[in-house]
Amino acid sequence: MKRKFQRNILILLTPALVSALLLAVWETWVRVRDVKEYLLPAPSAILAALLDDPGRFAEGARLSLQAAIGGLLLASLGAFILAVAMAHSRALERALYPPALALKVTPIVAVAPLFTIWFGFGLAPKVLIAAMITFFPMLVNSVVGLRSIDPRAHDFLRTINASTWQVFWRLRVPSSLPFVFAGLRISVPLSLIGAVVAEFLSGSDGIGQLILIANGDFDTPVLFGAIFVLAAMGILLTASVALVERKVLFWYQSSVRL
Amino acid sequence: MTNTSRDSDVPPEPVVEVRHLSHRYPVGNETVGALTGVDLTVNDGEFVAVIGPSGCGKTTLLSIIAGLLPPTGGQVSVFGSDTRAARRSQALGLVTQDPGLLPWLDVASNVLLTLDITGPHDGADEYVTELLERVGISRFARYYPGQLSGGMRQRVALARALVHHPRLLLMDEPFGALDEISREEMRFELLKVWEQEQMSVVFVTHSIREAVLLADRVVVLTGQPGRVKDVIEIDLDRPRTASLEDSPRYLSLLADVRGLLVSETDRSDLVHAIPGNRR
Ligand SMILES: Nc1ncnc2c1ncn2[C@@H]1O[C@H](COP(=O)(O)OP(=O)(O)OP(=O)(O)O)[C@@H](O)[C@H]1O
Ligand SMILES: [Mg+2]
Repeated sequence: MKRKFQRNILILLTPALVSALLLAVWETWVRVRDVKEYLLPAPSAILAALLDDPGRFAEGARLSLQAAIGGLLLASLGAFILAVAMAHSRALERALYPPALALKVTPIVAVAPLFTIWFGFGLAPKVLIAAMITFFPMLVNSVVGLRSIDPRAHDFLRTINASTWQVFWRLRVPSSLPFVFAGLRISVPLSLIGAVVAEFLSGSDGIGQLILIANGDFDTPVLFGAIFVLAAMGILLTASVALVERKVLFWYQSSVRL
Repeated sequence: MTNTSRDSDVPPEPVVEVRHLSHRYPVGNETVGALTGVDLTVNDGEFVAVIGPSGCGKTTLLSIIAGLLPPTGGQVSVFGSDTRAARRSQALGLVTQDPGLLPWLDVASNVLLTLDITGPHDGADEYVTELLERVGISRFARYYPGQLSGGMRQRVALARALVHHPRLLLMDEPFGALDEISREEMRFELLKVWEQEQMSVVFVTHSIREAVLLADRVVVLTGQPGRVKDVIEIDLDRPRTASLEDSPRYLSLLADVRGLLVSETDRSDLVHAIPGNRR
């Protein structure tokens, strides 16, 4: 018990110490070498920029997060539904794979302006870009997951005449979850990239717009502030997914550890 | 509901009837024979053991009877109809060597899953508790399969296959993963349940002792593709107990089965292990 507590402290403490050390080195270096602020602001200057107008960053973060999460949910849901069809039939899989792949290899920077023309500057184009970039990993993982059922469990369910529907809900869906979560771990950072790139290109709002404006103003401390906020958002989202995963996939860990 | 099929006015037709069964698996562009010309009858309430060397098609035979695999030749009827219809009656139970439990459900839920699918019956809850008790896992009802030993998981698989009162229990080396002591325990527990439930059992095993100890008849399969070499009636008294193993009749039956298997595999080292009292 005590040892576990000590380990938890250590897990939190080590990265905090490393970060603090890095920031201290950075700060010292900027001060000693007298680096120009528009090239590389000191951490203290970045913090000052963040505290100068925290509402601006918070609002940007909220809007970007909204778009990222919206896109991720849309993509996950759409991909899973399509994956059900693809896992059901190889012919359908062959038919749907090329368009899915085409969607994946299309650079979002090329599509973003088009989405702005079609959907304007609101939430919709951002959500769609974030969905587009996360769709493929979610699809592939869901298809593999839905196919990963234990044949012995399947045989048992079939001998007691379980319906296709029962096999789907009782066996296929739970079996797919470890793969779906693996897909989510890949997709979380991608969804943020998608949202911010969309904002950056259209200049609508959110952290992407903040970066765009700060860049135009040569306001490097704000630019860095935005980057730090973005990183914090990524960590927050990843940690939330990991938390849910730990709760949902408790059995997966214990069966793997064998 | 569960007893309608066992009323005494039902004519005693065989539960399983296999005629001229053959099966070939596709391998690349060719096919490989797994079974050829197999005939097998399992009467109502009968306990039939199937024994044979590895790869002789025991699992294939069981899968075909379970309706999981359509055979490439011959006829199979279960409960007097084709295997699909038999499956629809939800009166089959299956235990495989690798149990295939659902790792996200605890032991009790794994067993209850069967009832969720086949529909509950009177006193289902008490029966689940009793069954878990019997197979020696009631203490582990809230454990997840990943937290159990292989033997424990096999017990859960047995409970899961019994809870809906199947008329026909199909078992593929169910006790293979168990230690010798649990194995012994489970054999006699299985016999008790079988006697109470009046179900039929097809029991695939590698153990000659197990086959003779449990079964009414032992079907010896040989070769690749597999065929029935001989069927030995086990005319030992029931209920069977561990003390049976000292009886001369048991030993001679054991030697008979072993003789059939040894002459098949031609293992001279095994011949020395045969007790001297062959018929
Ligand atoms: N899916 C398959 N595809 C091709 N060949 C198969 C397949 N399943 C089984 N076979 C072949 O059919 C034969 C019989 O296999 P089966 O699994 O029924 O044997 P078994 O008697 O159960 O063996 P064991 O005692 O080792 O479990 C073997 O030669 C095997 O290689
Ligand atoms: Mg086998």
